[in-house]
Amino acid sequence: MIPLLVALPLLFAFLTLLLNAFRVRDGLRRALFVLGILSPWPIFAASISQLPVSTVVGGWERISGIEVALNDYNYYFVLGELIVFSLVGLYSVGYFGAERTAGHPERDFTSPYIFSLLLLLHGGILGAFVSSDLFNFYVYMELASLSSIVLVACSREPGSRRAAYRYLMLYLLSSFFFIFAIGIIYVKTGYLNLHLIQQNLVPSQEVHMAVALMAVSLMTKAGIFPLHFWLPGAHSKADTPVSAVLSGIVVKVPLYGMILLLSYLHLEFMKNPLLVIAFSSMFFGIAMALLQDDAKKLLAYHTVSQMGFVLLGVATLDVDAAIFYAFAHALFKSGLFLGVGVLVSAQNTKSLDLLSYRGDKMVMAAIIFLSLAIGGISPFIGAFCKQQLLSNLHGFGVYLFYMAGVGTLVSFIKLNYKVLQPTKEALSLPALEKIIAAALAALTLIFGIYFYPQLDHRDIILILLAVALFFALRHVGLFRRQIPRFFEPTVRDLGREINLYTGVYVLVNLAVLFQLLY
Amino acid sequence: MEVKMSPIVRKSAKLVSPFLVTYGAYLIVHGHINPGGGFQGGVILAVSVILLITSHGYTLIEKKFSITMVQVLESASLLSLILVAVSGLAAGFFFYNYLRGGVPGTLFSGGTVVWLNILIGFEVGAAFTLLFYVLLRGAESD
Repeated sequence: MIPLLVALPLLFAFLTLLLNAFRVRDGLRRALFVLGILSPWPIFAASISQLPVSTVVGGWERISGIEVALNDYNYYFVLGELIVFSLVGLYSVGYFGAERTAGHPERDFTSPYIFSLLLLLHGGILGAFVSSDLFNFYVYMELASLSSIVLVACSREPGSRRAAYRYLMLYLLSSFFFIFAIGIIYVKTGYLNLHLIQQNLVPSQEVHMAVALMAVSLMTKAGIFPLHFWLPGAHSKADTPVSAVLSGIVVKVPLYGMILLLSYLHLEFMKNPLLVIAFSSMFFGIAMALLQDDAKKLLAYHTVSQMGFVLLGVATLDVDAAIFYAFAHALFKSGLFLGVGVLVSAQNTKSLDLLSYRGDKMVMAAIIFLSLAIGGISPFIGAFCKQQLLSNLHGFGVYLFYMAGVGTLVSFIKLNYKVLQPTKEALSLPALEKIIAAALAALTLIFGIYFYPQLDHRDIILILLAVALFFALRHVGLFRRQIPRFFEPTVRDLGREINLYTGVYVLVNLAVLFQLLY
Repeated sequence: MEVKMSPIVRKSAKLVSPFLVTYGAYLIVHGHINPGGGFQGGVILAVSVILLITSHGYTLIEKKFSITMVQVLESASLLSLILVAVSGLAAGFFFYNYLRGGVPGTLFSGGTVVWLNILIGFEVGAAFTLLFYVLLRGAESD
């Protein structure tokens, strides 16, 4: 059953591509796309009654076959993926419609392929989540990320190709190190299946080195602070539905890899470096988001920060906290991207000074709800996850954690404050896209009440503190400050940029590896 | 961006490409006993078309090997590859080689591996040709 979860979206991706070759009408292609996006649901629904399930594809032995499983580790990842992808799929049917193909249909090479690419992405992500085999995980992660790189490059936004190139380069670099580390594990244990690796693993310096290399590669792919360079550009330049999927789900795939490392291989020896990286990512993301004027870039920097929160769960060796935070982040971040995206495409600007949701109550409510959810305010899902993360921290860490929470709130108060400004003309937003953003907001509330049905009075103090801090920072003039540009938009500077990032990647790798020598 | 090469180049490209097809077909069919196989042979099949494109120009070759045909060939061979793999399920496993037999080391000993190699060859050949077409189309519109 479980292999079909991956096979069906891939089959539909293939069919939409085939229809493309036969020049079939647009309507049929869209119908196939929606069918492909929704196709894993029945299989998922049929499998959840008998959790945990695992099968080896095609009836082979465990040693020679590829094992796929649906268990406690990936259940919420798959559920979040299906929820987000179904809603984003419906959103993109309208989004990649008339407005894109109008103009120059004969020069438009990308539009016919977008639906196939989205389905490939869907299948790739699901495949990475269900596989309990290190190499298979790598292959599906590669499939997912290559299709997302192409989707970023398909965007009409100026600078999107450049962002996609940067994404591609860092992605390939980290992939090489990841596959090298898988090779080391294979040499040391003789298996690629995670259960068999776990049984046969003898901890040694080489294994530790391999795990450290894998962890750094996965952090690069997840866009965590010292290695985040590709993320803000790629996530903010992509089309709205693509941004929502990238920030909501695609960055969760490497984090799921970290969870696999933590639960099947040993990650305990990297606890301290991971803690430092997690906290620095949280604060760096917030600091950069506070300085942004571009609405989508603000959200993208918050992804850097929120990935730090998920990594904090991994660093405190609490798998559940990391899983639930990843699930929650998938819901609220994709909702925020879609909600802000509705405004961006209606008002044709991304600048926070010009965007406005005044005059449309549904989008307004959705964005406010989702901002509260990302800030961890209590009836929403964020509160439950923050509570779980907090239970593992003590001493100084608790204060840092609360500071990061307040920082996130300040940044989202800034977003809402700026977007609250009155508009000159009346807003007319597409109904379906509004409803989808509102549905994700409602889901954060529903899951929040389902997981953690209580109100926390300390949240009011946090909100008041954040409001005070926001007005203080506004008074100081922080939000009017321009960020200096280090690189010009030329090819030569793009090369310099990539060189610099490669240098940083190597330095982080070396720092983590030297730490192992002690 | 129509490049017309000299008659010498065009003639020799015409002469070489049938041999390339033969060589590619040999590599594909002998994939299970010799070095080579579907991917390598498929690349050589694609090269035989790409050679003609570079010597005779895109528009002339596109008439013979139309982009629709290449797309359909690519998709059809991939679909049949999956069908062969799934048909193994009837005999036990996914990708199971249920046609084994013959003297090992001879041409007729591969079972389904030969079919898989042939389909991979078509898939790779068509995919590389398609890539080249798409890149050329992008270059022409600029």
